[in-house]
Amino acid sequence: METIWIYQFRLIVIGDSTVGKSCLLHRFTQGRFPGLHSPACDPTVGVDFFSRLLEIEPGKRIKLQLWDTAGQERFRSITRSYYRNSVGGFLVFDITNRRSFEHVKDWLEEAKMHVQPFQIVFLLVGHKCDLASQRQVSREEAERLSTDCGMKYIETSAKDATNVEESFTILTRDIYELIKKGEICIQDGWEGVKSGFVPNTVHSSEEAVKPRKECFC
Amino acid sequence: MADASGEVAAVPASGAANGFSNGAGATPAQPNNPLSRKLHKILETRLENDKEMLEALKALSAFFVENSLRTRRNLRGDIERRSLAINEEFVNIFKDVKEELESINEDVQAMSSCCQDMTSRLQAAKEQTQDLIVKTTKLQAENQRLEIRAQVVDAFLAKFQLTSDEMSLLRGTRGGPVTEDFFKALGRVKQIHNDVKVLLRTNQQTAGLEIMEQMALLQETAYERLYRWAQSECRALTQESCDVSAVLSQAMEALQDRPVLYKYTLDEFGTARRSTVVRGFIDALTRGGPGGTPRPIEMHSHDPLRYVGDMLAWLHQATASEKEHLEALLKHVTAQGVKENIQEVVGHITEGVCRPLKVRIEQVILAEPGAVLLYKISNLLKFYHHTISGIVGNSAATLLTTIEEMHLLSKKIFFTSLSLHANKLMDKVELPPPDLGPSSALSQTLTLLRDILASHDSSVVPLDARQADFVQVLSCALDPLLQMCTVSASNLGTADMATFMVNSLYMMKTTLALFEFTDRRLEMLQFQIEAHLDTLINEQASYVLTRVGLSYIYNTIQQHRPDQGSLANMPNLDAVALKAAMAQFDRYLSAPDHLLMPQLNSLLSATVKEQIIKQSTELICRAYAEVHAAVMNPDNAYKDPENILHRSPEQVKTLLS
Repeated sequence: METIWIYQFRLIVIGDSTVGKSCLLHRFTQGRFPGLHSPACDPTVGVDFFSRLLEIEPGKRIKLQLWDTAGQERFRSITRSYYRNSVGGFLVFDITNRRSFEHVKDWLEEAKMHVQPFQIVFLLVGHKCDLASQRQVSREEAERLSTDCGMKYIETSAKDATNVEESFTILTRDIYELIKKGEICIQDGWEGVKSGFVPNTVHSSEEAVKPRKECFC
Repeated sequence: MADASGEVAAVPASGAANGFSNGAGATPAQPNNPLSRKLHKILETRLENDKEMLEALKALSAFFVENSLRTRRNLRGDIERRSLAINEEFVNIFKDVKEELESINEDVQAMSSCCQDMTSRLQAAKEQTQDLIVKTTKLQAENQRLEIRAQVVDAFLAKFQLTSDEMSLLRGTRGGPVTEDFFKALGRVKQIHNDVKVLLRTNQQTAGLEIMEQMALLQETAYERLYRWAQSECRALTQESCDVSAVLSQAMEALQDRPVLYKYTLDEFGTARRSTVVRGFIDALTRGGPGGTPRPIEMHSHDPLRYVGDMLAWLHQATASEKEHLEALLKHVTAQGVKENIQEVVGHITEGVCRPLKVRIEQVILAEPGAVLLYKISNLLKFYHHTISGIVGNSAATLLTTIEEMHLLSKKIFFTSLSLHANKLMDKVELPPPDLGPSSALSQTLTLLRDILASHDSSVVPLDARQADFVQVLSCALDPLLQMCTVSASNLGTADMATFMVNSLYMMKTTLALFEFTDRRLEMLQFQIEAHLDTLINEQASYVLTRVGLSYIYNTIQQHRPDQGSLANMPNLDAVALKAAMAQFDRYLSAPDHLLMPQLNSLLSATVKEQIIKQSTELICRAYAEVHAAVMNPDNAYKDPENILHRSPEQVKTLLS
């Protein structure tokens, strides 16, 4: 029996309004930058849903469920309900908008508040790196913040597809490694990670679905 | 004919030759002498031309060696003896030849007998094998024909029949897995069933019909097996992880040709997933994630908005996931209505959660958490109705129906709560406070309204829906409020009442001004404010004129008719009275703020107060202008009017502006 993916990860995408979260997801899932007049450029209403398969190693495919949240304050009471079922997330700021960078800690704090003691694996994304001439946040400064907050940092552009695939690959690989180490568990009742293996068909699938006594969750 | 013609041509030539010879012999002269005749005759014979003669002479020379008389006389006898000897030798030799010939004849006879015998035997054998050869020839011809037919049959079978392996695959054993090869075989059956139609157009209709029937039976058997397998596979999809295999997707692709089986399989899938989703929802509510992380949703039930939001978010994500599973399951299906199938099944899958969801939301709503929270919950439900309908479409999904019901219920309870609050205002109408400011009831209601509108402002529902809601909210809250204020002020004096109403209306207006979609209501409030402002303006003007003594004079002048005689002769309008009034008016002009109604200081809005002062001053100027005109009028018989009113209306206006 052919298995399409070995795991499904549910990821959340957060950040200030207009930093380009939806465009980033469109580029990743549909391979194109939405036109300036397409509905994709409208502010996200509440929560939007994207999905794609990602191959992190030859033959190892992960299915990503991506939940795009509205950055506007009025939707905050809704979007915060989506942290609880996410294993990882992208924290997006706009390198041409310093305020969006200054809000990164606020976003982290809110995420933490809603999932503690569990921790979501975040990747800090400095978006719109094609607009270098308008940069307001240096790479060094962003890297310092990401290091202080326990995240990796990457700069992307949905417009010219810079580092889009790489950003999703990095986060997915990190989560995959944590699962292999047993720091993240697969259990019923939590949709952050789902196993796609059929037991007994592949050896490693048994390891994946076997309950681990050393689980720290 | 040619040969005959040649012979005919030759015959005349021979005849001609013979004729010529005879003619030539007759022409020479004959000698008389016998000896001469003999010599002539001998000389005439050409010996060299007679081959027989030459040969005879040669033979003679062989044994006639001596030419004597005796030899010449014995020559005849010698020749005859010699001839006899030769003949005897010939006979002897001929005897040998005869014997040899006889021997040969015997041999030939023997051979002839042998040949005859062999011929007979051959003939016999031939007669015996004639049938065999005929049969062999027939059999060979038949063999060739049969080989051709075998090829035809092989081609026929290859085209119109399945291999035994394929048959086994299609029939299969109960519970055996369905593989890629199954679908190839099924495709073959369909192909054959379709191709066999060409036979119906030929004289092979019987074969065509039989094959068609056979393939139809096989197809049904295969579909039945496929359905059983797919049903079993779907039934097993009760884990949180819904792993739709590629083969199952192919099964659905094949089953779409059998709508009933296809539908049953989808139903089976829906039933399996439905129980999974229900279990997942209950776990999320009561158990949370592994080790309690994330926390159970019910842990936040004390926070109604968070509680309802978490439940709806969970369902939103579950619905999206289930739709994804269905899309994976039906990704190869090309029949019409796939989208509707998906929406219908997703609706069925999420139906199971409706009851636990409804119970909990009802509990939250009926616990009456207050109008503001009810309003927020109502909007949240409306938002999720919109969001989830984007996934399950606009079909009559029970989940959407439930959310809509809860939305309507929360809205109803909200407006009931608002109405109850408003009704309390009318039950015990409190008197206006001494400072004529807003009553505490008004302040509380406006605070409530502000909270509602603020939550509305941060609402997540679409603009047009918000606008519609606004009208109802404002109407439900403000209409009773206005009535309460009116009733509350009904026992007050005119100025007090107007001041109180202006203050109350102003409070309402400033509260609403912060929010969208309040323009119409703001206009109405403004109209009402202006009506009461007119009252206050008139009251203020009247207050000033009364205080400076011009009130009676102005009123008399306004009501004066020419037939009553001149104004100067009327009581209290003589020059002395006017001068006294003007003295007071001058004091007013020097310090206008001293003559303000006390109520004006109770106005909440400085702008409104300024407006009242300004417009009442205009009224005063207008009144003075009329008085001035009357006094200056010679018909009124005032002597030396410039000494009575020493200020022109323009001067007064300038001083008061």
